[in-house]
Amino acid sequence: MFKQLQIRKSSDRIEPVPVQLTSGWLEKNSQAPILLSQINNLPENIKKRVYRNLIPSELLARFQIDPVSWKGTGGDLQVQIEAQADSGLVRIKAYSYGAQQDEFFFMEFSDNALGSIDIKELQLSDPESPPFGNGVHQEGYPTFSGSTGRNLEREQRAMEAGLPPGQIWDWLGALKITLNQFEAFLASLGQRAYFFEPHFYSAAWIFEKRGFAYAQGHKLMDDIHAEFQPGGRLYRALDSSSPFRQPDGWCTVRGRAWAIHDGILEAIEAKWEGLRMVKLLGRKAGVETFPDAEF
Amino acid sequence: MYQITRSAALRSLPEFRKYINLACSQRGCIAKQVIGDLQLAVDEACTNIITHGYNGMNPGSIILSLEFTDDWIEVTITDFGLAFEPSPAPAPNLEAGLEDRPTGGFGIFFIYQTMDQIDYTSNLYGNRLTFIKKWNPH
Repeated sequence: MFKQLQIRKSSDRIEPVPVQLTSGWLEKNSQAPILLSQINNLPENIKKRVYRNLIPSELLARFQIDPVSWKGTGGDLQVQIEAQADSGLVRIKAYSYGAQQDEFFFMEFSDNALGSIDIKELQLSDPESPPFGNGVHQEGYPTFSGSTGRNLEREQRAMEAGLPPGQIWDWLGALKITLNQFEAFLASLGQRAYFFEPHFYSAAWIFEKRGFAYAQGHKLMDDIHAEFQPGGRLYRALDSSSPFRQPDGWCTVRGRAWAIHDGILEAIEAKWEGLRMVKLLGRKAGVETFPDAEF
Repeated sequence: MYQITRSAALRSLPEFRKYINLACSQRGCIAKQVIGDLQLAVDEACTNIITHGYNGMNPGSIILSLEFTDDWIEVTITDFGLAFEPSPAPAPNLEAGLEDRPTGGFGIFFIYQTMDQIDYTSNLYGNRLTFIKKWNPH
């Protein structure tokens, strides 16, 4: 008797998980993955104790925020958490001086349909830098990464200042410690991997550097790299027809990212969609779809 | 541990083959036959992942890792496509004429014939196919 491999219709669940965490269940299961919806159903103060681990304390210290009370030197609460009962979604925001415009940390993550966790949004911004306003349309509504429209004038200013698309402020320079902290948090939940959907080419490249692989979209990234080589279809489409399609854009991550944000993938009959990155805890995949790239 | 990650595309197969050769060469003393068997097994498994596992999807990554001990080599292939179900099936009829043989099935047959142990797991974090091949004749 020999075996062959056939497509299975769905993945195994590791173990059925109860809606409500109980000490009895935790006692029996030291490794079964816990979902955010289970934590969100816990009493408020327990929830706070769990989610307190999410923002690196050294990052809070940079802004003189107490890592336990989340209050600044003036006594104001400078970290907000949204983690409603019966929801699998968590949003955490931290402010440098307690005013909304000085947000330096924003993270949104949620349970996914398979029982693992997705990072939906992560913004680490330097509140000392001027905001470029490229995340807001001229009429005042948010652009949601360009999905509801674009603010071309502001985008061009951000691009000329050296920012990639989607970045509204300068970098805070804390991605590595934030992701390390997030991994430690997920390990405490019994999760072994997490997922992220990059809205921009530059984000995908940055997360590759942090050890992510692709659950979907690796081949597209390879195709993009190949077509941006001299003579390729994307290279030829960098024709200065818009400020975001400069001829030298092919040789930097930012140049490619702005051109892709501007819709250049039409030239290869592709779209920037359906990409899904995955990080296995403690492992670096070593993906490099744009080798030796300059940002 | 040796590890390489490439896209789930047929053009990645030669890179996997080269990487196996490189890792085994660095380890040293591994017979060409063993290296060839590993290359073919990985080729077959990855072809399955590329053509079936990621079929209809925007293909993701394949992570190939090799670990050596004094007696065996453990090869792990991780992907994030559709899971494969290891299920019993008859061996291909090697005596039949070419026109009478069904297409496919030989790769998996070959893997089971040449590897000493095979394990497959699939869960919410991806699919892992592991082969173990004894390499030390002593």
